[in-house]
This record gives sequence, structure tokens and C-alpha cells, in this order.
Amino acid sequence: MIRYLARRAAHGLLMLFGVSVLMFLLFQTAPGDFLSEIKVSTQISPETIATLRAQYGLDQPLPVRYWQWLKSSARGDFGYSFAYNTPASTLLLPRARNTLLLSIPALLISWLIAVPLGVLAAGWKSRWADRLFSGGTSTLLALPDVLIALLALLIALKTGIFPVGGMTSINAQDQNTWAYVRDLGWHMLLPVAAMVIGSLTMILRHVRASVSEVLESSYMRAAEGHGLPRFKLLFGYALPAAANPLISLFGLSVAMLLSVSLLIEVVMSWPGIGPLLLESILARDLFVVIGAVMLSTVFLIAGNLLGDVLLYAFDPRIRRQA
Amino acid sequence: MSSGDLGLPKPEPLLRVSALSVDYNAAAGNVVHALRNLDLEIASGESIGVLGESGSGKSSLALALLRLLPKNARLVSGSIAYRGRNVAELSPADLRAMRGAEVALISQEPALALNPVLSLGQQLADVLRAHGKLTRLEVNARCTEILRQVGFEDPERILRAYPHELSGGQRQRVAIAQALICGPKLLIADEPLSALDAATQADILDLLQRLKRDLGLAMLFITHNAGALEALADNIIVMRDGEAVARGSMDKLQATTDDYVQGILFPEKSLATHTVSSIESGAALLEVRGLSKRFVQKRMLSRKEFVVQSLDGIDLSLSAGSTVAVLGRSGSGKSTLARCVAGFETPDAGEILLEGNPIATAEKNERGARPPVQMIFQDAATSLNPRFTARQIVAEPLEIARWKTDADRTARTLKLMEEVGLDPDWAARLAGEFSGGQRHRLALARALAAEPRLLVMDEALSGLDMPLQAQMVRLLIDLQSRHGLTYLYISHDLNFISLFAQEVVVMDAGQIVERTTPEKLGQSVHPATRELVEAAERLHAPGVEAAV
Amino acid sequence: MNRQSSLSRRDPPLRSGFFTRFRLSWAIWFLVGVHAVVVLAGFIAPYSFETQEREHPFAPPTRLHFVDCAGKFHFRPFVYVTKAAENALDQYQQDCSQPAGIEFFPKGDRYTILGTFSSTRHLFGVPAPTNLFLMGTDGFGRDQFSRLLYGGQVSLFAGFVAAAFSAFTGLLLGGIAGMYGGRVDDVAMRFAEIFITIPWFYLLIAVRAFLPLQISPVTAFLLVVSVIGIVGWSRPARLVRGVILSARERNFVLAARGFGASNAYLLRRHLMPLTFRVLLTQMAVLIPQFILAEVILSFLGLGIGEPFPSWGNMLAQAQQYHVLVSYWWMLLPGLAPVPVFLAYHSLAETLQERIKSNF
Repeated sequence: MIRYLARRAAHGLLMLFGVSVLMFLLFQTAPGDFLSEIKVSTQISPETIATLRAQYGLDQPLPVRYWQWLKSSARGDFGYSFAYNTPASTLLLPRARNTLLLSIPALLISWLIAVPLGVLAAGWKSRWADRLFSGGTSTLLALPDVLIALLALLIALKTGIFPVGGMTSINAQDQNTWAYVRDLGWHMLLPVAAMVIGSLTMILRHVRASVSEVLESSYMRAAEGHGLPRFKLLFGYALPAAANPLISLFGLSVAMLLSVSLLIEVVMSWPGIGPLLLESILARDLFVVIGAVMLSTVFLIAGNLLGDVLLYAFDPRIRRQA
Repeated sequence: MSSGDLGLPKPEPLLRVSALSVDYNAAAGNVVHALRNLDLEIASGESIGVLGESGSGKSSLALALLRLLPKNARLVSGSIAYRGRNVAELSPADLRAMRGAEVALISQEPALALNPVLSLGQQLADVLRAHGKLTRLEVNARCTEILRQVGFEDPERILRAYPHELSGGQRQRVAIAQALICGPKLLIADEPLSALDAATQADILDLLQRLKRDLGLAMLFITHNAGALEALADNIIVMRDGEAVARGSMDKLQATTDDYVQGILFPEKSLATHTVSSIESGAALLEVRGLSKRFVQKRMLSRKEFVVQSLDGIDLSLSAGSTVAVLGRSGSGKSTLARCVAGFETPDAGEILLEGNPIATAEKNERGARPPVQMIFQDAATSLNPRFTARQIVAEPLEIARWKTDADRTARTLKLMEEVGLDPDWAARLAGEFSGGQRHRLALARALAAEPRLLVMDEALSGLDMPLQAQMVRLLIDLQSRHGLTYLYISHDLNFISLFAQEVVVMDAGQIVERTTPEKLGQSVHPATRELVEAAERLHAPGVEAAV
Repeated sequence: MNRQSSLSRRDPPLRSGFFTRFRLSWAIWFLVGVHAVVVLAGFIAPYSFETQEREHPFAPPTRLHFVDCAGKFHFRPFVYVTKAAENALDQYQQDCSQPAGIEFFPKGDRYTILGTFSSTRHLFGVPAPTNLFLMGTDGFGRDQFSRLLYGGQVSLFAGFVAAAFSAFTGLLLGGIAGMYGGRVDDVAMRFAEIFITIPWFYLLIAVRAFLPLQISPVTAFLLVVSVIGIVGWSRPARLVRGVILSARERNFVLAARGFGASNAYLLRRHLMPLTFRVLLTQMAVLIPQFILAEVILSFLGLGIGEPFPSWGNMLAQAQQYHVLVSYWWMLLPGLAPVPVFLAYHSLAETLQERIKSNF
């Protein structure tokens, strides 16, 4: 088991390197002059700017720049933010935490709803319920994420029940821990709900499709022929057999969720990686841009790794190969 | 002898099917009458064999008995009564109680009948638990007991194992155990032998015989292979197109004059008139010398290598116009030999000569050269592009070689189709619209279009049911004499061998272990050969001299 | 024989039954219709996308009447002149005294279709001083309905062209990887994997980020299309490669080799038809994804910019709280993609079913 995980983790690390190289290559080959557009914070003196440029090899060829960045990352800085005059990590890490605060609950809730519902939907007998399911999920799927985010914001504004945007209220820091957590929870409610709506339907449809396919196998018919009760057939036999494609879907759903989170964070002013990325793009803050992309990739790889673990746990055929 | 002889009233039969008719709603609005007015009775402890070709409705019968028919099937009329109760009217709870505990089903393809992600012990226990409350210990004890009964010597290991860790024969045993674990009165076996190789088939057949004797099971055994029923069935029903066309014991049926029934019971009879002419050893058409090939499986990031020596110094020669059968268990290397001869694999060592010239591998063909060696694959379905029409398929070798004009090609195609027994009017139909047997014929026609000298058949008939196999063998014999073809016939069983092969070569673990003729097969002492022959005897395989 | 359990809901696959063909044609005709409408945006829209009606910022959709204030019924629908109320700038009142019927084929702003055909005739409109704002106006008094149609040109075609681009690149690279196998395949797939490892939108935005920000609209369009297309190449590539790899091992391909077929023949007769069908289905999945990508890029200010409308940058205005709360019609551009997506999804599903049933 450890060997299997180690192999997958090594693979992930390799991919991470590949992504970082890709980012630098893109930056290198893009037309137009990125560097000249860098908006530098007015608090930095020109000498500091010059030092920084030299330190990070911004005027040097690509391999040098990349190497300097690697060294800086090993130090924990991940490059330097010119717009804010601070190592990039100080900006990235708190934002990363905030994004996770939204993404992880949304992921859990989506899957916890989608799996039982999808299995049941696969086992429905009535054609009418089927049509309703297909039609309903199709329509929800067709709603652009932007619209969902805006609607969530609208609900907050119109009803006044939910806080409008932001992560915490102004005086949150002063309150005790319990009140702080509650305040946080209120703020999280709408963004998480929006994210769940955005990703739930896709997962739901895939669960139903995978389980449907499994239900057509000979072993399901054989199990039915042995008189097993319906509930056991669906959840004890069909679902485990469908686990393999579903777990592959897990990695995909993490990717989708991260992408949706970007939008929701921007629209609802949640201080996550999304708004930071946008800002740094407009400010041409190179290292923050690269850092933000790398962070999101790390999350995705972590999600895939989790999926690999789950696959190992659920599919004996994988255990044999590993 | 039944209790009727003693003047006592006959006991209520265990299962009574009366005038059963089942329809399927197939694609494009067609209705297929799978079962028509079928009558059937099984008494307690009696075993009935149901014999018929594919498409005769036998599987539908099995499914109907347990109400497992797919959604597009309808029970049009008739009734099924198990112990006097109408199956169609059972409540869901009663139905579930009946399934597995009173009537149990084993289907073909044992690999697919077991859930791949659950342990075998769990799958056995679940059947038990579905039909009664038992403690963990009781469940465990019963599972172990039933596994021993089906012939496993180490049930504890099997309980913990997963389906992919077992062989095909072992999986079928577990499936049988699953069916019997609750002690049903009636066992329905739907083609339980088809997906297994000959020796394993014989083993399973023995097991079923033993179980029938020991447990007093009533059995409904569905198959297309009459030989298997000889020892097992008290009474036989022969089905055709959904109807029962003949009934009786094996002896009574053997005396019948009906062509169809005779064809099913003794498929080799249609070939019996053909005498295998011995070929004077003339110039060898094909010569194989010292052929060797190994396969290396290496996994990424691991230092372990799996080396399989598939062929080890094979020498073989075929005279023009003859048929040589290559037999062996799976893994003996016969498929690799076929692929090397046909040019799909490059051997590591040795040479293959056709009329003295080295064979060109398929990779390096010059355009326009129609290779003289053609291969017929086992699975006809995948050897034809399903989007091609019959005409396109058969004419493909001609197209590739740019043979004459389009009109000529069409004419030749139609002639070939007729020769293999296909209706030329069907030339515009898509490959997917043909039945399994017809697709085999299409593949043959295509191979013939290339005007080969040697046809390599890699288990080409294995998937077909017996009567169809007989027809195909007849066709092959016809074509051989008409076109002067040479055959290299690869197989894992002995069906029909004595009726059309001049020489038999037995392979084991990559080497040729025996060369003999079909007549002398029964006298062989080599273990690999004996295994094949004995399996054929127990299965009463058609056309095996030793069996008669 | 169909081996299905009675648990399974799905009917056995139909070979182009009536229902499948109906669904297919509905989706295709609808899409053709929608695209035709946006191409003819100039003609169908009553106004140009730039025309500003300064007196009517954030006007609600104009109400069409069949019965006038006096209670009389007219056949032709008509509208009233609206004027901003005295103290509330965004409340408009109707003036019952000046009804104006909708005219067909009136003269209006000049427009060009496909850059070649130019005219001032529109499909319908109203004479000044009445306005026909079917979907209201934005903060600059620009007719949202017209802008929606023009915006459709950008969003729909950006998605379409980007998907074609992606599919083509995927076909090329995936095809090479599949045909040659071995080392080439390994390298290509590792490379593709890197693209897939980055979450889709992040990659999109990052790629966009490195390109110049201030650019002309035409360049912007091409840029957006290329970016989306390049970023999205990896999925089609993997798909194509998978299809070709498995098809190469199919027995009918081997058999053809046995007849002396060259690689070119195999590609032409067997592999390409197979790949095209799969690719076509993939495009039906990609196009809505890419339309969405353009909408989001423009929404964030990284895509098509003012004054050209795109469904994305039209929605961006709704981000401001006061707009969101008070002017509900500003959200309509967000609903515009929905029927288009539904049609593409239906198309993709039908195509996928057909592929499955044939193999």
C-alpha cells in the first residue's frame, strides 16, 4: 500500500514540476512585454526594485529565472510580490486556506448528496421519474456558473438573511472563538451552496450513469436471481462495483470544484485564491500569478491522490496490481 | 420407473410450465417470439435437458422461470407453476424467497456472474443471509461446507479470495456453490459449460452429476452440446425457434428420424460421409523450423520481469491440400504459433517457409501482393468492421490489391458469398445485422477473396454452438476440396477433428509434445494428450474416435 | 441476446429509432436556427450595439400592448413613449397619448452582415421618440436585446471556433501518439497530462494573463479563441489517441494488414471514420464548455472588452450591487446560453448513444 501511494505521490510531484516549467515557458513565449507592465508598489525604492530584478533574474534567460524561483520556493517564499512588497507566500497561504474552507465542505456535501441520490436514481423503475431526473439535471447543468454566483449574491442582497460577500464581519476578530466560528459559518453558507449547485448535477449524472451501467452486468442479474433484497443489490453490490469509475470521477470533480470556486470567490468577495489571481493578473504581479496556479494544481493533485487511496481501498483488482 | 407404474397417482411435479409464450420487443418495432406455447414438467429429483441451437429460446426459458426477463420481454400467455404456485403472481417478497432458496440459476460466463469487487465469502454469505437469520458462525460453517461439496479442498482461502484470483473453472464452482448454498430443490443451469475449456468442462460436468446424485436435485440443464447431456439428463426436450419439437429420453431421441433433432444430437453425422483422404506426402507447402518466441512483461518502476516462453523450438510441416490440427490447453502456445505463421508476430528465432520461400510478415508487405497465408480469427464479431457492409468486407482484400475494376470486384464478392452459404442479396447489409454464424461465413468469404494457399484458423469455431460448428466444418471441407486449400486448424478441444484432419499435433508449454493421427489419438500415453482425450470422452465430444 | 437484469432501466439500444432521430434533428435545427439568428443580428436587432439612449438608462423592458388606455383593441402590438419620472431617475412612466405601432422593415441604424452585406433595414422597430427595449437597457441606455444578439455572435462563435481548433490540435497530436505508440506516445501523454493537472479555469486565466491586456477587440477575439483552444487540446488528444490505439489492435485492422494494407489505407478506411465519429461527439461536449469559458473570461474583464458586447461582459455590469438588486433584466444574458447548452448536451448524448450501440 505504501509503495503504491509513494508511486502515485512521486508521479504527482513530477506533474507539479511539469506545471511549473509550463508556467515559466508560457511566460517566456507570450508576446508582449510582461515585465514592463509590472505595476510596482510605490513603497519600494528603485534600488530595491533593481535588486529584486537581479535576484530573481528577471532580465536573465529562462533557466536562470526558473532556478531562482525554485530556490526561493525551497526557502518558502515562492517568489516575490512586487505589488505588495512581500514574499509571495505571505499572500498565497492565507488565501489558500480560505479557498479550502469553501472547497472542502462543498466537495463533501456534493458527494454525500450525489452518491445516494444517484444510486437510487439508477434503480428507479418509473420512466416518468427518469424523465424528470434527466430534464431537471440537464437544465441545472446548463445554467452558467456565473449566473448561479450572481443569483446567490442576489439572494443575499434581497433577503438580508445572509451576509453579503466577504468572509467575516468587521468586528469578528474581537469576539470569542465560538461567535467567530458562527460568523464564519454564516458567511460560508451561500458561497458553499452556490458551489454545490454548480458541481452537484454533474456528479449526480455520472453516478447514475456508472451505476446504471453496472446494473446491466451479468453479476447483478445473478445476484438478483439469488433473491437478494433490493437495497442490498443497489448499495451493497452495484455501488461497490461502480466504485472504480466513480473514484476516477472524484479527481475530476475536485478540478471542477476548484474552477467554480474561482468564480464564486470573485463574485461574492470571498478572499480566496481566485480574487488574488485576478488582481495579480491585472497588476502583472508575476510570481503571485504563478504561485496561485501552482497552489490550485497542488490541491488538484492532492484530490487525485485521495482518489487513488480510495480506489485502493475499494477495488481489490487495484490492490493486486499494486 | 415412475410411481405411475405402481398404480398410485403421480405426485405434483415440482415445476409445471403450461403453454408458455414470451415475446421480446426488439429494435425498430420488431417483435421476436422467443417462446411459443411451451410445455414442460419437472418432477422432484428429475433432471431435464433442454437442447437447441442459439436463438431457440432456451435462455429465455431459464430467465422466465425466475422472472428475470429483461424489460423489453413480455409473458404473453401461459403459466409457470412452482409447487403449484403461479410464479407470475408471486409478491416481491415471495419471489425473493423463491429465488436462490427454492430455485437457483447458474448462467454461462462464470467470470461475469460474480461481482468483481466483493470477496467470494461475502457473496456466498449474502445469499444465505437473504434467506434466513443465521449467526456468523453458522454462516461461516455453511459456506465452508458448500465449498467442500463443490470440490474445493481449502475453502478458507476461497472465502477470502476475489473472483479475479481464480480460474474459470474455479469460478464456475463458486457460482454453483452460490446457487446451492440454500439447498434449492431445482437448479437451472443455463449453458454452464460454454465458456470453459474442454478439460474444465468435463470436470464441471462430473461435479454436476455428483451433486445430482448426492443432493437429489431436480435440474434443468440448458445447452447446445448434446454430448454433455448423455450422462446427466433423464429426459430431453429439443427446442427450435421457441417451440419444443421433440421430447423423450436420450435413447428414444436417438432413434428419431427428424433431421433437425438428428442434427443436434449427432452433429458429426452430417460429416460422417466424408472420408478423410490421406494425402501422399508431396512437397511441403509450409515448413516451420526451430520457431521460438518469448514475451516479456515489464512493469514501470519495477525491476521484476515476467518472461513467458511462448514457443520453444517448433518444427512443423504441412503438405499441400492437407489439414493439420494443433491442439493444446490455453497457454500452450498454439495461438502464438498461429500468429507467427500468419505473419502477425515476428519470431525471435527460426524460420517459416512457404514453398521454400520465407514468409513476409504483415508489416513489410509490398502493396499489391496478396499474401498466401490468411487467418480466421476466433471472434468473428470483432474481426469485421461493424460499419462496413457485407460487400465491403468481402471485397476488402480485392480493394487493397486494386484488383481489376469495381464491377469485377462486386461480381466476385457475390460469388464468394454464395459459396460460403450467404444470400447475395444481403450484400448491402451492415456487418452488425448478421448473426454470429453468418459473420463467420463472411470472414471466410473475405479470406477466400485473397486467394490464399494456407488458411490458419485460430480457435475459429470455439464460440459457436455444436450444430453450427458442424455446418462450418462441412463448409470448410467443401471449400478445401474445391480450392485446394491447406488448413492449419488450432483448437483446444477435439470436436470433429477425426472427421477432417489428417494429422494432429499436440502442444504443451510452448513445445510440440506429440504428433499423431486422429485414429491413434486414443492410444496416446502423453499426459497432455490424455487430458484432452479424456475430457472429450467425458463430454462425448462429436467426432472423436476414442469415444465410440 | 440481451443480457440485462430487470433492475436495469435502460432499454436495449435502438438502432436509430424514431425517438433518437427526432432528438438529433431537434437539437441540430435549433442550433442552426440560433446561429442563423445571431449572424443576422444586425437585421433582427432593432438597434446597434453602441447606440445609447441617454434619456433611458436602466430602463425596464418595454411593455407591449394590444389594448390601449381607452380600452380599444389593436391588432398590431404597440408601445408608449416612456419618460423618466420626476424625482426617481430609474422609474419610468408611460405616456398614454402617444401610441406607436410596431413597424416591420423600418429603417434604422446601419449595420453589416458578415462584413459584406450592408443595409439600414431592420426586421422590426418603432419610430422615434418611442423606444422598443425588449430586454431593457443598461447603464448607458443601450438596448440589451440588440446587444444580446450581437453578443451571441461573439460568444457562440468563439466557442465554436475554439472547439474546432482544439479538436484539430487534439486530432493531430493524439493521432500521432496513437499511430506511432511507444516513446512518442509516452512523451505526448505526459505532456497532455500536465495540462489536465491544472484546474481548467486557472489554466485558462493564467494563459490569458501572460498575454497583453490592452488590445483591440478583433485581436481580443482571436486571442480568446486561441487561448481557449490551446488550453483545451489535451482532452481531445487523449481521446483520439485512445481510440486509435485500441482500434489498431482490433481484429479487423489486423485482418486488413494481413491483406497487405498500408498504413495510409488503414488510416483512411478504418481509423479515421472511427476517430471522426468520436471527435464529433467530443466537439458537442467541448463547444458549450468553451462558450462558457469565453463568457467567464469576458465577465472577469479578460476577454472581449467594451464597447463590443459579449454575454460575459454584459453580465459584468450586474456585479454591482445596486444593479443586481434593482434591475433584474440585466441578468438575462446569463440565461441566454441555457437553451444553447441544452441543445448541445442533447446532441452530445444522442451521438454518444449511437457510438455505443454500434460497437
